[in-house]
Amino acid sequence: MAPPIHTMLAAACIGFAAPAAVHAQPLGLPPLHIPADNPQTPDKIKLGDKLFNDKRFSSTGLISCATCHDPNKAFTDSPLVTSKGIKDLTGTRNAPTVVNAAYFSLFFWDGRSPTIEDQAQHPIINPVEMGLSNHDPVLQIVRIDPEYVNAFRTVFKTEPAQVTMKEVQKAIASFERTIISGDSPFDRWYFGKDKTAINAQAQRGFDVFLNKGRCVSCHVIENDQALFTDNRFHNIGVGINRIQNEVQDFAPKFLQAKGSGVDVDKAVLSNPKASELGRFAVTDSLDELGSFKTSTLRNVSVTAPFMHDGSLKTLRDVVEHYNNGGITNKTDKVNDFLSGGIRPLNLTEEEMSDLVAFLETLTSPQFAAQRAAMGTAPACNVKTPASLVAAAAARTVEHSPIKTAGQP
Amino acid sequence: MSHPINRGFDRRQFLKNASLTLAGTALPITMVELAFAKSSDSFNFAYISDSHIQQIKGNSFVRNWDRGLLRAVAETNLLAPRPDFIIFGGDLAQMGSKPELDHGAELLSKLNGKVYHVMGEHDYYLDLGEYWSKLFGKQYYSFDHKGVHFVVLNSILTYDDWTFNRWPTAQQRMAEMAGLDNPNGSPFMVGDKQRDWLKKDLAKVKKDTPVIVFSHSPLQKIYKGWNFWTEDAEAVQALLAPFDKVTVFYGHVHQIQYNQIGNIAFTSAMATAWPWPYPQAYAQAQQLLPKLTVQMNRADPFFERDATGWQCIDIATGRASVNFNLYNNATRTVAYDAQAGHPKDVGYQLDEKRIPPQIHY
Amino acid sequence: MKLFRTSCAATVLLLASTGPMADEFTNNDLERWDGQFQAVVKEGRGLWTSPDMGKNGVVCAQCHPNAANTHPETYPKFQKQLGKVANLWEMVNWCLRNPLEGDPMKADDPRMTAMLAYMAWERRGVKLEPGKH
Repeated sequence: MAPPIHTMLAAACIGFAAPAAVHAQPLGLPPLHIPADNPQTPDKIKLGDKLFNDKRFSSTGLISCATCHDPNKAFTDSPLVTSKGIKDLTGTRNAPTVVNAAYFSLFFWDGRSPTIEDQAQHPIINPVEMGLSNHDPVLQIVRIDPEYVNAFRTVFKTEPAQVTMKEVQKAIASFERTIISGDSPFDRWYFGKDKTAINAQAQRGFDVFLNKGRCVSCHVIENDQALFTDNRFHNIGVGINRIQNEVQDFAPKFLQAKGSGVDVDKAVLSNPKASELGRFAVTDSLDELGSFKTSTLRNVSVTAPFMHDGSLKTLRDVVEHYNNGGITNKTDKVNDFLSGGIRPLNLTEEEMSDLVAFLETLTSPQFAAQRAAMGTAPACNVKTPASLVAAAAARTVEHSPIKTAGQP
Repeated sequence: MSHPINRGFDRRQFLKNASLTLAGTALPITMVELAFAKSSDSFNFAYISDSHIQQIKGNSFVRNWDRGLLRAVAETNLLAPRPDFIIFGGDLAQMGSKPELDHGAELLSKLNGKVYHVMGEHDYYLDLGEYWSKLFGKQYYSFDHKGVHFVVLNSILTYDDWTFNRWPTAQQRMAEMAGLDNPNGSPFMVGDKQRDWLKKDLAKVKKDTPVIVFSHSPLQKIYKGWNFWTEDAEAVQALLAPFDKVTVFYGHVHQIQYNQIGNIAFTSAMATAWPWPYPQAYAQAQQLLPKLTVQMNRADPFFERDATGWQCIDIATGRASVNFNLYNNATRTVAYDAQAGHPKDVGYQLDEKRIPPQIHY
Repeated sequence: MKLFRTSCAATVLLLASTGPMADEFTNNDLERWDGQFQAVVKEGRGLWTSPDMGKNGVVCAQCHPNAANTHPETYPKFQKQLGKVANLWEMVNWCLRNPLEGDPMKADDPRMTAMLAYMAWERRGVKLEPGKH
């Protein structure tokens, strides 16, 4: 085992990247596809790591990728509901973990980025994230800072003037491809055939996961590996419910704004209504109204809160939402565009607790210590009272979006 | 809305370039857009079909089918600009009961726009359409709209003996017809009376006026065992033969089918409720699935809306170009190809373009 | 002195007189057993159209007329909805639980056997292709 991530936690990220080619395939994960035009090399990974942590790539000099994707927090900013960028500006979306993100086919909650290389450029120029107006400041730094100059020359054989965002993004992607983890207690039990790796309650929870809970169809498990995502997009009734009465008005207006040049990346992070349109905002496809990417479930015990808007605080809240058939409170109205895979589950209290216990077993060893140390974090199997859920939802809508030109 | 329509026109691309509208590629209904030489004659309409609202008990209905219709209605209402009207293609209810028709009518009532109705066998065989007619009007009729002659047929009738004499109760008659594969069923037909009416109705129509027929049964003979069949198909087709441009839209089959017989282009509508196997999937029987048809993607039954669907149709010079929306699958477009003289799938018609999900066996 | 004829033929005659042996069966047996099988197929067809299999009144025949698209000839195979390589009876249970909102059956429940028999019968003659999706 001993993937580079292990040493990241210990050594504040710089200079200890283990050669990617050496570490063994984590138990429970399939081989990772590496594109031909961006092969992994130790130097490239090291460069990517440095770029990932560089706060100078923000308008205030205080925000790097690692701010919202903190290696010490399983590459999230848990427990923040939605991420905070420059000047403490909040967006509309919860920062997904980088851990195992390399297995996704599309990036961001709405899949608007087609590759992990492409994804890296967007937060840099988003007004509520890193806040630069364009990538020039980044290029200036990497073309002048001697450490970068040497690194890019070594990795890409480029002279400073030849370094473009393409190389920057490739390096970051390479680093992110090493942030993978398997070998959880579940993996050892299911694939490693260690009968004692998870307890009886978690085993019952696994049965719920496969059968009554209907989780396995989207949170995919196969015979010899488990990504826990189908890499597709589904409307499961989170967030969309807040705007469902306005969809008829708002969706056409959004498309009009998009037609006159509004940037989707900026719109969805700054406008809470646009954010709830989900993948529809990217593809214009009514079929994808309110749909978001199926997250991996690996390490969910340390990546709370949950969903694209961070609106579900604990794993139990998540399970209750699914149990209700795609509504957070039993009295909510089910939205018209709900995925055909979501329906009321009629789980008992015990089955829900068992399911949560199972989800806890998906934590890889690298994060076990973090999980144990979560003394102040909300416990996984605690249901957040309805009143607090409503208050949190209201907060998410209320924050003041930054006014940018052309925003709908 | 007027815009140039080209053969193989990509609606999604158009939406990106022109003023964006929600008449897009992902509609849960059949969108029919007719464009003629005069731009003022262009219009479009929507086509929802086969909802099969099914009562369990009292006020509870099968949630799966309810959600299918609900979603179709919600997406139709998002269309901007509004379609000229909506056609509902039949089989609103599952067992033709008053609660089912009422519940279906209630779901349809949320539609913004005028709705025309087509009779389906699941609506008809309990009370021979009596309550359905109270709700929705005539069982067969025609109307003209912006230069097109529309005909709506009740094409799910059958032999009088089966209808009136064979079964001791109306409930049993409905139950026997409700089973698609029931050997006690009886073939669909338009029937003498209606064919007479059709002949007289068409006599007033000029030969170069585009004619569009809505029928529940296919007006073709595809597979008798599942009543993908109209007993007097040839006779009906003969009545339509004199016209330059005829398009028949039909429901009942719950799958993508398209075909050309003589001057008539046939296209099926998908169900909002559930998909059916293609007849070739039944090993013990011979059937004639239209050879042109590139089949819909296979369903993952976990996703209740998969392989249920809707269409968005553009028509140029009186010919149909149908965009089938498939949930979580690529949109399919079947367009009338003037050179070939029949409908063709713009993406997948060639053998080498087929994808694995389209292989049914 | 009596000679016991110990030829094969004599032995056979001797044995034959004590009744049918383990590997013998007659046309009558075949007919009878086939009848029993067909009765179970018929029972399976009855279940196929019975609203009592699940809890919402939906019947198997609604989506699978004549058991089409059940593909018994492809099992065992990887079944996405189950997350593993599985048997047909497991998928029948998935359908009972999900679209029919009902309860699963044991693998050797006579009703399960009847449904499997009906499916196989409607698919007779199709060559085996285990693992095919």
